Amino acid sequence: MNHPGYKIHKKTFIKTIVKQRYLILMVLPFLIWIIIFKYLPLWGWLMAFQDYRPKAGMGIFDYPFVGLKHFIALFQDPMFYNVMGNTLAMSFMQLIFGFPLPILFAILLNEVKSIKFKKLVQTSTYLPHFVSWVIVAGLFTTLLARDGIVNEMLLLIGAIKEPISFLALPRWFWGICTSAEIWKELGWNSIIFLAAIAGIDPTLYEAAKVDGASRWQSIKHITIPGIISTILVILVLDIGWIISIGFEKQYLLGNSIVQDYSKVLDLYILDYGIKLGRYSFGTAIGIFKSVVSIILLFFANQLAKRWNGQTVI
Amino acid sequence: MSGFMKKVFTLSLCLMIFTALISGCSKDKNVISEVGGTDENTPITFTYWSADTTAGQLDDGYKSPVSQKIKELTGVTLEKEFAIGDPREKLSFMAASGEYPDFIYALEYSNIIVDAGGFLKLDDLIEEYGPNIKKLYGDDLTRLKYSEKDPSIYFLGLPTVNQVKYEPETGFQLQYAVLKELGYPKMETLQDYEDAIKTYMEKYPTIDGKPTVGLSLLADDWRIKISVTNPAVFATGGPDDGEWYYDKNASKAQIHLTRSDEKEYFRWLNHMNDVGLLDPESFFQKYDQYQAKIAEGRVLALADAKWEYVDAEQALVAAGKAERGYGMFPLVLNDSYTYADFRPVGYTGGYGVGISTSCKDPVAAIKFLDWMCSDEAQVLARWGIEGIHYDIVDGKRKFNDETFKSWSQDVDFATRTGIGIYSWPWPGYGQGAVDANGDYYSPVYKQSIIDTYTEPEKETLEAYGAETWKDIYPQEEEFEESPYGVLWQINIPSDTDATVIMQKYDEITAKRIPAAVLAEPKDFDKLWDEYQEELRAIGIEQLEEEFNKLIQGKINLWNKK
Repeated sequence: MNHPGYKIHKKTFIKTIVKQRYLILMVLPFLIWIIIFKYLPLWGWLMAFQDYRPKAGMGIFDYPFVGLKHFIALFQDPMFYNVMGNTLAMSFMQLIFGFPLPILFAILLNEVKSIKFKKLVQTSTYLPHFVSWVIVAGLFTTLLARDGIVNEMLLLIGAIKEPISFLALPRWFWGICTSAEIWKELGWNSIIFLAAIAGIDPTLYEAAKVDGASRWQSIKHITIPGIISTILVILVLDIGWIISIGFEKQYLLGNSIVQDYSKVLDLYILDYGIKLGRYSFGTAIGIFKSVVSIILLFFANQLAKRWNGQTVI
Repeated sequence: MSGFMKKVFTLSLCLMIFTALISGCSKDKNVISEVGGTDENTPITFTYWSADTTAGQLDDGYKSPVSQKIKELTGVTLEKEFAIGDPREKLSFMAASGEYPDFIYALEYSNIIVDAGGFLKLDDLIEEYGPNIKKLYGDDLTRLKYSEKDPSIYFLGLPTVNQVKYEPETGFQLQYAVLKELGYPKMETLQDYEDAIKTYMEKYPTIDGKPTVGLSLLADDWRIKISVTNPAVFATGGPDDGEWYYDKNASKAQIHLTRSDEKEYFRWLNHMNDVGLLDPESFFQKYDQYQAKIAEGRVLALADAKWEYVDAEQALVAAGKAERGYGMFPLVLNDSYTYADFRPVGYTGGYGVGISTSCKDPVAAIKFLDWMCSDEAQVLARWGIEGIHYDIVDGKRKFNDETFKSWSQDVDFATRTGIGIYSWPWPGYGQGAVDANGDYYSPVYKQSIIDTYTEPEKETLEAYGAETWKDIYPQEEEFEESPYGVLWQINIPSDTDATVIMQKYDEITAKRIPAAVLAEPKDFDKLWDEYQEELRAIGIEQLEEEFNKLIQGKINLWNKK
C-alpha cells in the first residue's frame, strides 16, 4: 500500500455507501425497472437488421440478416423527410413557447399575495393535464368549428365576414397544436418551478426588502437565480424529447386536409411500421430516434455547461 | 413533463416487443393437442377477439338473454374483446407475440395472422367434427379456401350463405322532406339531385333555426372510402369492389380512382362546392360530428352507405322527425351508366371467425363453431328465445310486438337482447335464406323490412311507384355474376411492397381528393393531373400488376373442384 490517498478514497467510498444506504435502497427498484424495461429490450434492435416477420416456431436468430436495408429504405422515402420536418417544427414551437411560459407563470403565481386566489388559479390550471387528449381535441374541435365560439366572436366584432374552418387550414395546424398543448400542460409544468421557488430561503427576500429592493428587483436577483439550475435540468431533458413528441394530439386534431403538416414521426411509425406488419422497419426508425435523442441530450448538456458552468448528466 | 405519455407509450411498445421476443423463442406451440372432445355441456371459456369496432359498441358483454342461452346449451362462456382504432395495430402485436385469443375475427387483415401461422387449419377438424358446418356451407366450402398457394380453410366465411339481397347498401340520399316539398321529382342523375338540393336550400336557408347543409360527405380516416371515393365508382356504373374496378373486357383490375370517368364525378363535387351546396366541413368533420349533424335534421343530402348513417336516422325517428330521414337513389353521372349495387357476387366467403393456434382445446372450439352452424343456434342468434322474443304463428316464426318495435327502432336492441350479436360475423345463413320448413332463418325479409318503414318513407316509395327501395334500383338480372366475389375481400400479402404502395395510395388520396374538390373550378384539371401523376410515382402500376395476379389466383381456386 504505497498509495495512502487511494486507501482514504476507498474508505470514503464505502463510508458514503453506508451513510446513504437507505437512499440507495430507495433508488434500487427504479434501477431494476430501468434495466428490465429499458436495457434488456435493446437486444430487440436486432430486428432492424433482419427481415423479421413473425412466424410460429421461428426464433429471433432464424430470420435472414439484411444489413442496413431498412435504414436505407427509411432515408429514401420522401415522406420521412416530411414527417421529420413536422416533428421538428412542432417540437421547436413547443420549446420556444411552451417552455418559458410555465416559468413565467410560476414566478407570477408566486407574487400573488392572496393565498386563496393563488390556490384557485393553481388548481384550475392543473386540471387540463388530467383530461385525456381525446377530450381536449374534441374541445378544440368544437371551439374552432365553423359555428364554434371563436368564429362567432370574430364575426361579432367584425374581424371576419365568413366563418373560418380553422382545422382545415394546413398552415395553422402547428400553431393550433402548440396552443392546445400549452393550454393543457401549462399549470402542470409550472409545479416543479413553484416547488423550486418555495425552496429559496425566505430570509433572502426579507433582506432584499430591508435593502429597499422592488418586487421586480427581487424577482430578477433572487427568484430567477434561485431556480436557474432547475430550469436548466428541465430544458436539457426537454431537448432530449425533441424528436419524440408523441402523436396523440396530431392524430386527434389532424385530418386528411392538413396531413402534410400534421404527420409526425410516431404516426409514420404507426402507419408504415406496425400497421403494415413491418416490424423491422419500425425498429429501424426506433433506433434512429434513440440515436438522435442521445445526441441532442449531450448537445444540450454541453450548452448548459457553457452557460452555467454545471452539467446535468 | 411533456414526455411522460411518450414514456408510457415507449414502455408499452418495449414491453410488447420484449414479450414477443421471449415467446418467439419457445417453439412447437402449434401442435394440436388431442385432449379435446369434451362433453357438450362441460363449462369451458373461450376468448374471442374481433377487429370490428362497431360490433364492440353493440356488444352485450355476454350478459344478454341470448348469450346466457348459448351458455346454457353449450357450456361455453365467451370472453369477448373488440378492436379500438385500427385493428392492424393489435393484430401485428398478436402476431409478434405468438399469443392469440381462441377465436379471432380479423376482417380483411386476416393475412397478418395467417402469415404468422396463427390460425389453425380447419379442414380436418371440419371433416371430423363439423357436420353442421358442412351442411351450412355446402358446395361453398371450397370458397372458404385461403389462396391458390395455400388452399386450406383458416376461418369460416361470413354469414351470407344463400343470401337474398332485399335492400340496396349504397346510393345517394335525399331527405323525404325535400322530395315531398318538390313533389317527388325525377331522380335519376346527379343533375336531378343537385337541382333538388339547390331548390330546397334556397327556399329554406335554415332548419330549426340552424343553417341548412346541402350535401355532407364524411372523410374521417378510412370512412373517406365509403362516402367520398366509393360514390365516384358507383355513379359511373362500377360495383362495390373496394378500391378496385374490374374491366371485364380486358379482364384486368385497376385502382378505380385512376379511371377518367371518375374525374368527372369529382369535377361535379368541385362544382357543388363552388356553388355552395357541399358542406364546407365535409373533409374534416369527425364521424360523431357528422352523425350529430344528421340527427339535427338539417343535412339535406348524403352520399353514403346505409350502415353509416342508420344510427343517426334512428335518432331522428326517435325525436319525431321521421320526415328528415333519407330516401336512397341509384344516381349516375349520366344516362350511359347503370348503378350496379345489385350486381350478383355469389357466396363471397371473404373472411370470418377462425380458431387460433393458442387455443388449448381446438376440438371443443370447432364443436362450438359447429353448434353455431346448427339450426338451433341460427334461429337463436337471429330470432332470440321462443316465447320471450318470438312466437310460432301459423307455423312461422314471428317477433312479438314488443320485440318487433324495439328491433326496428332501438339503437341498443342488440346489446339488450343479444339478438344479432351472433349472427355477424359468426358463420350462418344470410338474409332471406329458408330452413327445411320454408321459414326464414333471419327476421329480415321483404315483408318485415316493409313493416319497419316509417310513414314518410312509405309515402315516398309510393310516389315513386315502388314497394321497397330495391324496386328503384337496376335489378340483379341486368348484371353478370362476378367470377371473383368482391375485390375488397382479396388480401394483399403483407410481405410485398404492394401493402406499402396501398398505404401511400390511401394517404395521397385522402389529401389530394379534398384539395381538388375544394379548389377553384379552373384549377381542378391541374390538381387532378397532379394527383394521378403522384399515384404513378409511388408505383400504382406495380400494385395493380400484383393485384391482378391475386384475382387470377382466386378465380382459379374457386373453379378448381
